[in-house]
Amino acid sequence: MSTQTFGDLSRRDVERHLLVAVDESENSKRTVMYLADFFGGLKDVFITLLTIIPEPSEDFFPTEAARAKWLRDRRAVMEQAMAGYREILRAVGLEDHQIESRIVIRPCASIGAAILEEQEKRRCCIVVVGRRGISHSEEFVFGSTSNHILHHAKNSAVLVVE
Amino acid sequence: MANAATTIDSPSEATIRERIARHAGAARVPDRFKIIADTSDFFRVDYNDVVVLGERAFWIKGYEKEGRFGLDDELKYWVRRAIDLADGTTTILKLVFHEQFETRIGEVAITCFRSPKKEARILDLVADHPNFMHGRWSRDTAGNIIRILEYIPGRRYDEIIAEYGAGHEEYFHRFFPRVLAEYIELVQAIKFLHDHGEKHGDIRRDHIIRDSERQVNRWIDFDYTYRHGESMFGFDLQGLGNILIFLAGRGDVLVPDLYRDQRQLFDTLWGEDLNISYKNRVANLKKIFPYIPDSLNRVLLHFSRGAELYYETTDQMLEDLATAQAALALHTGRGS
Repeated sequence: MSTQTFGDLSRRDVERHLLVAVDESENSKRTVMYLADFFGGLKDVFITLLTIIPEPSEDFFPTEAARAKWLRDRRAVMEQAMAGYREILRAVGLEDHQIESRIVIRPCASIGAAILEEQEKRRCCIVVVGRRGISHSEEFVFGSTSNHILHHAKNSAVLVVE
Repeated sequence: MANAATTIDSPSEATIRERIARHAGAARVPDRFKIIADTSDFFRVDYNDVVVLGERAFWIKGYEKEGRFGLDDELKYWVRRAIDLADGTTTILKLVFHEQFETRIGEVAITCFRSPKKEARILDLVADHPNFMHGRWSRDTAGNIIRILEYIPGRRYDEIIAEYGAGHEEYFHRFFPRVLAEYIELVQAIKFLHDHGEKHGDIRRDHIIRDSERQVNRWIDFDYTYRHGESMFGFDLQGLGNILIFLAGRGDVLVPDLYRDQRQLFDTLWGEDLNISYKNRVANLKKIFPYIPDSLNRVLLHFSRGAELYYETTDQMLEDLATAQAALALHTGRGS
């Protein structure tokens, strides 16, 4: 059994370390289930479940207290979702030490760029994202995180699960 | 600029009466009026009342209006025309109204917020920029951020455009080179915001005023913001695209109008030729006005339903607009 811990960056280049960007959507759940099917039972795979919560601008809230509450609520939703995803992975034989959950709250103009920063920092060899299936018009107005990652990822494979 | 209103003594009623008399004449001093230092309940602020912000006093006049989504003349109860009793100038007072709502542009739902903080911040940022409305802000006794805006003499830019030329061809060859130069200046102004990490938030053609004194176009109303996705400025860019299509077409080229009046042109249109945000408007204007240069039409097509590539930044758009401007100068013999 691998003795790798998630702090052991020196071994990352020889391990199979996946970074899975998730939110609380059904789409993310489907992505995690896909990975569970694919990698369940393997002992040398490490999965970081990552969610980025963009720190909302103060402009969105009448008071700082309302902003803090929004962040607390958002974090609680993601903690619950992450716990569920961890259970899905554990159910197929992945062990606790193979799974890391990270909730990152930070200011960010681009979620895609924030995900890729984490990938680089943690030297993950595969980035996995779900695709929300947004319309042409929505992509025009809001942009697409999976497209950003596809276009800008370096030193990793990108897996887009639909 | 900002100042802390609450620490400064407010003028007395006698002083206010004397100031009103000085600027409007003794006969116009109202018999009764309220002096309001806390504007939290903006419905309390009536005609002829006086809002005091520290030592400054503003004599309240009418409401401002907004023509949004076809609701022309909808009153904005939190936006009041006022006389600054320090110097008698007409100003616009924007009181605090927090609002969150969902708007739809075509099939896309966008969560929008009205933020006094954002507008105050941008007023500071654009204080020396000619293409924006100017003003300062102050807090009332309850801490509400009140924006005190300079009144811009002039008309909406889109209304002026409709009067240029007898028809599209004359407009396009005689006036559009200058209009395009003015539009590019407006996009550069938005780039200035984006470069400072700010969105305009509500880019619409009726948010551009042609300042008749300074002869310059100025963006107004930047208290809206929106929850963005991967593309922080996508909604702003969409607004810029819609304005360009309007300017190049000398108005909206509407599908129902073509169906009714120009069936042959209507029959040449495909779904991909239409505006990505408004499917009853044509974006591929070269099909309607064949003398539009390809380089300009390519910019328009970025905002069509057939687009495969979108602008992500104003820089990308400005680069293509410069190419289009050069081609237009060759085509019309007019630089601007």
